[in-house]
Order: sequence, then structure tokens, then C-alpha cells
Amino acid sequence: MAKSMYLLWGSGSCPCWRIMITLEEKKLQGYKQKLLSFEKEEHKSKEVLEINPRGQLPTFKHGDDIINESTGACLYLENQFKSQGNKLIPDNPAEQALMYQRMMEGLTLYEKLNLVAFYDFYAPEGERHDSALKRNKDNLVTELQLWESYLENVAAGRYLAGGFSLADVVVFPSLAYAFRYGLSAGRYPKLAKYYSLLKDRPSIKATWPPKWFQIEQRSESLKDI
Amino acid sequence: MAKDMTLLWGSGSPPCWRVMIALEEKGLQGYNSKQLSFEKGEHKGKDVLAINPRGQLPAFKHGNITLNESYGACLYLEEQFKNQGNKLTPENKAEVALMYQRMFEGLSLFDKIRQSLFYDRFVPENERHDSAKKRNAEGLKDEIKIWEGYLQATGPYLAGKSFSLADVIVFPVVAFLFRFGLNEEHFPKLAAYHNTVKDRPSVKNTWPSNWKDSPGMDTLKNL
Repeated sequence: MAKSMYLLWGSGSCPCWRIMITLEEKKLQGYKQKLLSFEKEEHKSKEVLEINPRGQLPTFKHGDDIINESTGACLYLENQFKSQGNKLIPDNPAEQALMYQRMMEGLTLYEKLNLVAFYDFYAPEGERHDSALKRNKDNLVTELQLWESYLENVAAGRYLAGGFSLADVVVFPSLAYAFRYGLSAGRYPKLAKYYSLLKDRPSIKATWPPKWFQIEQRSESLKDI
Repeated sequence: MAKDMTLLWGSGSPPCWRVMIALEEKGLQGYNSKQLSFEKGEHKGKDVLAINPRGQLPAFKHGNITLNESYGACLYLEEQFKNQGNKLTPENKAEVALMYQRMFEGLSLFDKIRQSLFYDRFVPENERHDSAKKRNAEGLKDEIKIWEGYLQATGPYLAGKSFSLADVIVFPVVAFLFRFGLNEEHFPKLAAYHNTVKDRPSVKNTWPSNWKDSPGMDTLKNL
């Protein structure tokens, strides 16, 4: 099963990390994989473009089936391997709804983090404005405070939607990257607790990024957020 | 079942429309439906904030359960009402994979529409640049061409033979493109898809009311 899977990935990419965590959780270790370099533009190489015309990572195949969209791939894997590995979508309607809600909100969190940490990537030179960066930072603070409230009662086994689920698969990588880029644990204690509870989970530990992106000097760290 | 459901929505909003289509497809007509006006800022009103602290539509409740993310609501309804209404998840592995892929690519299409068609709405005057507008317009054109290509390769629906969650999610966005004047001659496969799906009962029954009353724009006519 895993042997017919192929993942092309880049280190430090949250979307790539989501798929890797899911593969571990569903006991699909042993998949073929290839680490590529964003810096060397390898995500635009022929090998990637043949599977993913958008030239993006992750790029993922299962047999002849291609799912490059990370959240889609995670849902697919849970759907196809329901009875294998850990259950990542709760059956209970209330938990399930909360899981889908937080999972999709996780995409908003990711976007807002990027708009600060990688502002220069989104706004080419000549189009950058202090007013825009300030607004992005304010929006990020609002967003992070929302997640602090979501994790009010965080504890072992009490994550975003109860037990560990696809919501955590999508969101944890973003928070790991936020703390790596200097987010203050003091200002966001619940997020910090969530991070410390999950960082040693086997699927997460096994797939921890070997290295993170170089962050530009101007799109500063998140330490003042 | 439907009587325990409430949907707060705004006309023409693809995320709202998705949930309405899903409710119809799963035979859940009869839910409490409340239409609000974006123009009047009603999405930031107390009614909405009580369900959705983000002050966004759709806002959806099923009993004590809240689901304001349109993808989340559609996935939940399909899962919880598996044995009711139309099946929105194909049996075939290849179609399921394609369904998930296209569903989430739908986010790119909607993003590019917003960045281009709603540039002035989201970017304050002193931060606007012609270079950005131009780049975003090119980005939208390239994205639309990608979807035209998808429908050349597969059909009649996005995941292949069966109408699925991919169509529930993406059709409202495609409809939005034609509402803004996308040229049927330039994008014949998208036009055919639009014409096929727009007559589906769940889509017809939930067609944006203000679209019936007024003509669309021709912003995308020359794309």
C-alpha cells in the first residue's frame, strides 16, 4: 500500500508536513519520498511538473491517483484507510463538526502567519507598505487570540476537537513554525501548552522538518506578535 | 432533522451557496433559512456573531453544533447523512481522489477571483498598484484556463462521471465567473459545465435571488 505512494516534499513546508504526519498516523510508513529544495527551485522541476502542473509541493501520488492539495490528501488517506492506524475523524457528530470547523480554520491561521512572516514573498519590492504589514500583524494577533480561546482547556488527549484528529494534523505544523519563528510562549500560553503536548507525538517527531525556511530580515520574526 | 438546522446566508456568496446546495442534495429542505445583507453589514450583526465570532457568512447550526466553514459544513452533512439524499462521495478510488483534489483547488480559484475582481475592496487606496492589479488579472486568467483544461480532460463533472462534493464546492465559484461576464466562447468546457449543473434541482432551487432580478457584469468579457 505505502509502496505505491510517492511524496515529493520540501523541508519547512507546513502543507508537506501535514501529509507526512497523516501517513505516519495511518501506518503508511515506507512510502517513496523525495526531499526537494525550494531554494534551488526544484519545486518547478520537470519531475514535479509532470505530476503537479502547478509546480508546488507537496506533490503526492497513490498509484495513478494524484492529490497535491494537502488537506485533500489528508482527508483522502483517512477515508481510504479508515480501519488502519489511528482514527483521525471522530464519529461523534459534535466532535466531528468541531474537527471540520477547526481543520478549515487552520487554513486561515496558516495564511495569516504567512502574511507576516513571509510578507516580502507576497508583496514584491515596490508594492510593500508599512500600513499593510501592520494590518497583517494586527490580523494575526486577533487570529492567534482566537486560537488561544479554542485551546482554553487543552490537556493531554484534549486537543482541537477532543482526541488527536485531522484538525491537529492541519494546525500543529503552523504553530510549530510560529514558535520556531519566535512567537512568544508567554503571550500565548495555551498555544505553547498545545505545542509542548504534541511535539513528541510519534508521528510528529518522526516527520519534524530537518530545516526551516530562511526568514528574511525585513519580514521579521514573530517575536513581537 | 432539517428543522434543527439554521443557516444564515448572503445572496451570491459562493461559500453560502455551497451549504445550501449540500442541504438540498441530502434532502434536508425545511431548515431555518435567514437571508442577510452584506451591503448593510448584517454579517457583522449580533445574530451572526452569536454563532460565528468571525462575523462571516455562512453561519450554520445543527442543534447545538456550529459549523461556519463551508467546506466543513458540506463534509459534515455528507458524512452525517450518508444514507439520505444523493451520495456526494464517489465509490471509485480514482474519482474520490480527484474529488478531494479539485475541492481544495477550488480555494485557489476563489482566491484569484477575490484578488482580481475585488482588488479595490480588499486593498486600501494608498496601497494599490497597477503592477499588482495586472499580475492578479493574469493570475486569474491562468487559473481559469487551468479549470477549462480540467473539464477538457474529465467530465461531465469535476471528479468524472458523478456529481460530487467537488461540484458542490466549486460550481458556485464557476457560476460567479459567468455572472461577471466570463465569455462562453473563450471557455466552452466551463460554459458546458455551467449549463449542465445550473439545471440541477439543488442548484436551481438555491440560485441567488438577486441574480434573477438583475443582469450580471461584463468585467470578464474580454478575458
